[in-house]
Amino acid sequence: MPIFRTLRNLARNLFLRGRVRREIDEELRGALAALEAEHRAAGLSHAEARRAAAIAFGSIDAIKDRVGDARTGASLETLARDTRFALRLLRRSPLFAVFAIASLALGIGATSAIFFLFDAVVLRKLPVPDPDGLVVASIGRSGGTGGTNNYSLPYPQFEAIAARSRLLDGVFAVNPMGRVNVAIGGQSESAEGLYVSGEYYRTLRLAPAAGRFLAPDDDRGGRAVAVLNYDYWQRRFGGRGDAIGGAVTIDQVPFTIVGVEPAGFSGTEVGRPYDVAVPLRTSASLSEEPPLWNRSAATWIYVMGRLAPGVTLTAAEQETQAIFAEAGLAAARSASDQQFAREAIWRLEPGARGIHSDLRQSYGRWLRLLLTLLGAVLLLASLNVATLLVARTDARQREIATRLALGAGRGRVVRQLVTESLLLALAAGALAFALAVVGSRALLGIAVPSAEIVPVHLAPDARLLVFTFAASIATCLIFGLVPAIRATRGGCLNAVRQVGGAPGRRLLDRVMVASQVALSLVLLVAAGLFLRTLDRLWAQDPGYQRSHVLMFSIEPRLAGRRGDEVPRTYRRVLDAVRGVPAVERVTMSAVRPISRNYYFVTSFRELGAITLPPERRVRVAFNHVAPGYFATLGVPLLAGRDFDDRDAVGAPRVAIISERMARHFSGSPIGQRLGAGSGAREVVGVVGDVRYARVKDQPREVVYMPIFQMAPRDIFYTPTVEIRGAAAATTLLPAVRDAVTHADPAITLFEVKTLEAETDESFAQERLLAILSGYAGAFAVLLAGIGLYGLATYSVLRRTPEIGLRMALGATPSAVRRLIVRESAVTIGAGAAAGLCAAFLAVQLLRSQLFGIEPTDPVALAGAVAVLLAIAAAAACIPAVRAARIDPLHALRLDT
Amino acid sequence: MAKGDRAALLQGTLDLLILKALSAGELHGLGVSRRVEQITGGTFQVQPGSLFPALHRLEEAGWLTSAWRSSENNRRAKYYALTRTGRHQLGHETSEWNRIALAIARALET
Repeated sequence: MPIFRTLRNLARNLFLRGRVRREIDEELRGALAALEAEHRAAGLSHAEARRAAAIAFGSIDAIKDRVGDARTGASLETLARDTRFALRLLRRSPLFAVFAIASLALGIGATSAIFFLFDAVVLRKLPVPDPDGLVVASIGRSGGTGGTNNYSLPYPQFEAIAARSRLLDGVFAVNPMGRVNVAIGGQSESAEGLYVSGEYYRTLRLAPAAGRFLAPDDDRGGRAVAVLNYDYWQRRFGGRGDAIGGAVTIDQVPFTIVGVEPAGFSGTEVGRPYDVAVPLRTSASLSEEPPLWNRSAATWIYVMGRLAPGVTLTAAEQETQAIFAEAGLAAARSASDQQFAREAIWRLEPGARGIHSDLRQSYGRWLRLLLTLLGAVLLLASLNVATLLVARTDARQREIATRLALGAGRGRVVRQLVTESLLLALAAGALAFALAVVGSRALLGIAVPSAEIVPVHLAPDARLLVFTFAASIATCLIFGLVPAIRATRGGCLNAVRQVGGAPGRRLLDRVMVASQVALSLVLLVAAGLFLRTLDRLWAQDPGYQRSHVLMFSIEPRLAGRRGDEVPRTYRRVLDAVRGVPAVERVTMSAVRPISRNYYFVTSFRELGAITLPPERRVRVAFNHVAPGYFATLGVPLLAGRDFDDRDAVGAPRVAIISERMARHFSGSPIGQRLGAGSGAREVVGVVGDVRYARVKDQPREVVYMPIFQMAPRDIFYTPTVEIRGAAAATTLLPAVRDAVTHADPAITLFEVKTLEAETDESFAQERLLAILSGYAGAFAVLLAGIGLYGLATYSVLRRTPEIGLRMALGATPSAVRRLIVRESAVTIGAGAAAGLCAAFLAVQLLRSQLFGIEPTDPVALAGAVAVLLAIAAAAACIPAVRAARIDPLHALRLDT
Repeated sequence: MAKGDRAALLQGTLDLLILKALSAGELHGLGVSRRVEQITGGTFQVQPGSLFPALHRLEEAGWLTSAWRSSENNRRAKYYALTRTGRHQLGHETSEWNRIALAIARALET
């Protein structure tokens, strides 16, 4: 009943507001009149009776307020009234409203967009029940606690732990298959595959969206069954139920679809979603390499588990550590296996966010940096709006003073002022949310340019909503509350006295604008450094000629080719491309000049006559290349010869080394041997140094081996064909595609890209940093400029009578201009000096993101200062010029 | 200041007195004030600034009903009367008050 009554009261007070108010008024006036009548009856005169009644009664309006406050929904009504009032005020100054909302929305929107990415990549937990119970396994080395853990593990130990652990309620292993060829009903396309062990779904506690999941039996028996990811099911089967039980061919092996994963789940590794999951044991039939089931020192699976209820991570770790060590020794088949078993230590860590992710690793730090950067912009936008709000409350000082004098409570006035800020916050928050959703997609596109599948889910969610609106409201509360409290401080008398400008107010204004100048300088310096970094990256000499090179990859194994058929297909493709007009040279390599996929490293101790001790062995990057590789890429051949058709399987094993590698030999390396035993090769050539696989890396020792000398089982990669053309690389593509299809219709070209485009994409992080910091810097300096302009304009307005007097006494216009500019110059100077100091500290944090320049790069610093001064000068000069045009007669007549 | 303190202290007392004043029959606002003064022997003089908010609060709580009627000198006035829950509440508050008054009296005697 009380709730019903409350609602009825509320409805009556809100919807029949006018009537309720009229009734209160009538009741009170009636009572006053009755009191007056009593006094007259007691013999007082008309005027005396009225006076006595009024004194006894007090202010009718005050009582009305108190009655209104006693009624249900009073605060709601006040809120509605404040909102209407605030809206009316904002409508009267649309420029202020638009500017405040836009600058807040841009600041908050950009920050939210980055937060959205940061959340998706770094913070978010796996979308499974109770993610906090999950753990991730890794291997550390005994002896050192430092160093990075290895997250890939050997199979026999995993199997032993899965069978014997009591404290883990489920342990599973996964291994990415990479790109696989999936054929459904004769239609084939490439998809991302994942091997999972039998306990995968049970441990994650997922429920299938359709059909069933893989069970331990499926894995043990190596049954050819597959589970589809929800998105893939939607994309490829339109979410149809009859997909279950259907046949699918993965890399020529037939599988049966048994189920579909729940929507929103995309695996345990952030940034690596997959389309189809198959039992781990089926890798025996899918992969050409011999299975590693019994190899206790071969690390290739990723392992996660779930703690049994009530078990701590430490307890589970101790238990499984013992099993791991024991199983490792038991399964060891060689001395090196035993050494591995003794040195390797099993570790568990919290796994709510899934297994180790390359994406998280490489982007996490960087996103944090961006978040800081844009947080600074947000701070700046807030400062700006705060300055405006202070100016506004100042302009309303007379109104506020009057309201205080008429008996409005201070809390009441503050509440009204804050309502206005909150309105701004809500409008800005809504805009910022839209901006964040659109912006984060665009950012992801720039950050990961060539992703075939969007690597992270970016569906707008409650977390983003909460972040955006919390940021907006916090910003506005802090920066709206301060001016409101200041304006009402000291009661009505003080407020009335302060009309015309408070003495402390001008200093606060200057400090706020100066800090905007400082902050924008820091952001400009950061932008300058990142732009310079991008510039330096392009200016690096990679050791090869980047222009006019077209690349694509081929994988004959996707077409079912095995063994010798694989290199034979390579040759067929190379010959076909060579016949295309306008193709000058064509070759092939395992690793692209810029490669996201591969980075092959090995080491050598035997260099001709020299044999190095193990600790001084030369670590080298290596590549398998076809004849003509160096000529195609423009890498100079310094000595000896290139590979040619003689260097085939069975011929003497040869190698070409980079100049830097040649220095490790004594005398000319040509003809000397590299390596020992059956792996030894004769050095036949020396080529110029290159930046292997990445432009940012320093040139290093590189060893090249002829790809056609490799046994097919040693070709464990998908090679790339490189083409140098006479014309722009992309114009060659149609003819090249035709030629390949003509030579072998089963071969498809993928990752088709020019070397320039590949280089460009490899700078994606740097470019995004440059773009975003540029955005931040430009926005910041614009805001600071507006702040300065506003300050100077206000100052001119305030000093108009004084200026008029000066001019009347003979001051020249240029003297007046100097007067106003000098005032701004002090603010700018103080801000710039503080900004430079802050920048010197801040840029040290950026050091790891820079390339080829120091954090104190003079060009970036000078550029930033120049841009800031140009904007600041413009902002200061316009009001100064206006001041010089003041008509002294008019100014003196102004009443202050 | 002292006046404000007393108002706060006597908040619950004011409600009780209003309910008591109305227990004999319906009254308009000023009438309630007079009756309170009368039954407390002039100790409590309820100011309009406290009286009217309290009347509206009690009405919204469902303890009072009100009706517009013409008063003794032919003026429209709002008359308040106890509801059934209001009468119940008066009984409850009276016994509560007696309990507290007794307890305080005892405490002061010792």
